[in-house]
Amino acid sequence: MSVLSEMIKNLLSRPVTILYPREKVPIPVTFRGRVAITDEKCIGCSKCSLVCPAQVITMIDGPREVEFKEKSLKRKKRPQVKLYQCIRCGICERHCPTGAIHLEQVHGGTGTDREVVVT
Amino acid sequence: MPEVVIPIGPQHPALKEPVNFRIIADGEKIVRLELELSYTHRGIEKAAEQRNFIRVLPLLERVCGICSHSHATVFAKGIEEIMQLEVPPRAQYIRTIIAELERMHSHLLWLGVAAHEIGFNTLFMWTWRDREAVQDTLEEMSGNRVHYNMNEIGGVRCDLNPAQVNAALSRVPVLEERIKKYVDMVNDEETLLLRFRGVGRMSKEEALKYGAVGPTARASGVDYDVRRDDPYLAYAEVPWDVVTDTEGDVYGRTRVRIGELRESVQIVRYCLENIPAGPIRVDAPKNAPKGEILSRYEAPRGELAHYIRTNGTDKVERVDIRTPTLANWTSVAMCLVNQNIADIPVIVAAIDPCLSCTSRLTVTNRENRPGVAVVRAARRGSSLPGSEDEEKL
Amino acid sequence: MTDPVFILLYIVLFPGFIFLFVYALFLSFLDRKIVARMQNRVGPPFYQPFADLVKMLAKEVIDPDGVDRGLFDAIPLVALAAVMTAFLYVPVTGYSPLAFPGDLVVVLYLMIIPTFALFLLGWLSRNIFSAIGGIRAATQMFIYEVPFFLALLAPAIMAGTWSISGIVVWQQHNTWLVFFQPIGFVVALICLQAKLERTPFDIPEAETEIVAGPLTELTGRRLAIIHLTTEISLVVGSALIAALFLGGPMIPWTLSPSWLNEVVGFCVFLVKTLAVLLVLSSIKVATGRIRIDQLNDIGWKYIASAALVQVGMVLVINYLWVTL
Repeated sequence: MSVLSEMIKNLLSRPVTILYPREKVPIPVTFRGRVAITDEKCIGCSKCSLVCPAQVITMIDGPREVEFKEKSLKRKKRPQVKLYQCIRCGICERHCPTGAIHLEQVHGGTGTDREVVVT
Repeated sequence: MPEVVIPIGPQHPALKEPVNFRIIADGEKIVRLELELSYTHRGIEKAAEQRNFIRVLPLLERVCGICSHSHATVFAKGIEEIMQLEVPPRAQYIRTIIAELERMHSHLLWLGVAAHEIGFNTLFMWTWRDREAVQDTLEEMSGNRVHYNMNEIGGVRCDLNPAQVNAALSRVPVLEERIKKYVDMVNDEETLLLRFRGVGRMSKEEALKYGAVGPTARASGVDYDVRRDDPYLAYAEVPWDVVTDTEGDVYGRTRVRIGELRESVQIVRYCLENIPAGPIRVDAPKNAPKGEILSRYEAPRGELAHYIRTNGTDKVERVDIRTPTLANWTSVAMCLVNQNIADIPVIVAAIDPCLSCTSRLTVTNRENRPGVAVVRAARRGSSLPGSEDEEKL
Repeated sequence: MTDPVFILLYIVLFPGFIFLFVYALFLSFLDRKIVARMQNRVGPPFYQPFADLVKMLAKEVIDPDGVDRGLFDAIPLVALAAVMTAFLYVPVTGYSPLAFPGDLVVVLYLMIIPTFALFLLGWLSRNIFSAIGGIRAATQMFIYEVPFFLALLAPAIMAGTWSISGIVVWQQHNTWLVFFQPIGFVVALICLQAKLERTPFDIPEAETEIVAGPLTELTGRRLAIIHLTTEISLVVGSALIAALFLGGPMIPWTLSPSWLNEVVGFCVFLVKTLAVLLVLSSIKVATGRIRIDQLNDIGWKYIASAALVQVGMVLVINYLWVTL
């Protein structure tokens, strides 16, 4: 009986399917999407590169004057992430002292080119 | 008597993951089962020896997609015990919330899959629709629908803010009402009762003898749950009950899992309402002292055990994973004897098999066929000689 | 009525093959849409069965090793031909011009041929899954055919004629036979579900147990023809039940321009077959598959005895009617 009543109720109501891509799926704020780096905040400490489980972050040359804790310092290196090999775990974001490397709310980290990088 | 070999082979619509059953049948009755398990062996235990404690947790999470938080938590729990760290209570509560949400999503998934195995696709669609509420909650809390990566050695990675807690609490009553509806459906629906009742019956002695764990054993009356008998995380402070049943067949296992769903919703609600304030992690040292530990956890499928040995460096020396599905395969082989061919997917689905968890070993034997485990289990009424069960590799 | 051009148009165009083809695809779409909406999903668009047919016809045909290719090609075609012929005797707009006394038996016979085809295909594919599926198809046929025949025998006894169109005319003069024979109606619906091999009786084609049963080794156009056969069987079955129990395409009054009778009759036919389809789809959604030995139990204990009871009741009613 419970199956029958549920069937009839469903027949008379709207389906629960979200018709993507016409309708959009609501994405929460904490969604772990594509990795991105804000260059102004990065101090070149290399912590992200050390803790990455998939070892896809390498430090390349990138000198710049940055502000960190009211002091200005000259950084020497900055990170480069292989975008399509990143597993989006969020450990780099957790260990970064300035919040320079973070995961955005958009998805977009899938592809087959192994050399695409984000800096 | 002529024996027919039916290959429920590596590819089959009944299987979600590759495993090779060779069923030896006589008409529609099953005589014997030969099992080959190592299709998804990926070398995770060896790879875990080369990563330090920060980098190894996402790897261990990916042993299985459905019980990912279980593997990460049991490993973190073991290392914290070797390092003698005191994890703050807020972190324990957050870990418990995620663990119980994972149990709920796993049991709702199982209910749908079991209904699909008997051709009852309607229940499959409905339970997976309700599972979306759990997945949305997990996505809001951790950022991803599977592989939540909430654990670190020493605590959790990120905190829960009040908006997330309220959103989760607003979904709890909806889930409770749906679970009540499923209890009614499972008790009333005729074809479900016809296919599940009396199928794959296992008595309490047989469950203990063949080492069944989890809801499979609890359905036969074995009153053992790691959350109560060896408490970890926040389970000692939350009021909850262990669900057992006396039937021992697939219907009993269904009832145990639905009962566990009900209990999990209560645990999640209690933890969300009573979560203590405080820090969410402590600083962990880089190296672990020398030691070895067997860390246990109640995954959705049963008792999961990690044996960890450390040697003073920042990597483990050996981690050995014994998953609940590996312990339950012998009971499948035993329950299948003298049942119909039509019951094969039902009995296999009743232990909630997760082959990704299971394939932790590959055995190669040059004289015999590689890696075949021949399990002969003689029961009362079968015509096989001898009454011992032997596992030949 | 015996004008050969008219008969040819009736057979090929309407309500013969072209209409049957279109209506079968439409009913198949409606079945899937109703099932999907009951399961809270969206369901396919209206052209989906046609798209599936076209796609399947374009796929490569694979012959397994050692299989008789000619028979594999011929058997689906024979099944399709049988059900398409069966539709010619079912009244669609009124009295069927091809009707003759005894065409009820011919229609029932022609509708068994697809099940034979499944059994043969299962036996000829050198595959353990197909063999098991074929055996199950044959077993299921023995179980449900007896109650089905008995349940459809009862209207024939009451109307006193073996012609479907004759039974429809009898109902036009008296009343719908479902009021006299409710048990027979229920038994006929359940047995039709078993004949069409839909849940809870889709045992020969149990996807999770034996891959695709007898259809495992069929590919390309052979599979397309078997699917088309199943869809056309659905139309023929519902039209048969609508004609025998629900009064077919007739209304109790005769309208003034004689062509208006046919048009109204056709609309009534559509409504009644859609109603039968709604019931069949609801049964499909609400249940899971049962085992073949359980079907054996239920079939012989309950369904066959209910059909016998119904036939007995009809004989008693007829005797009382005649003597009073």
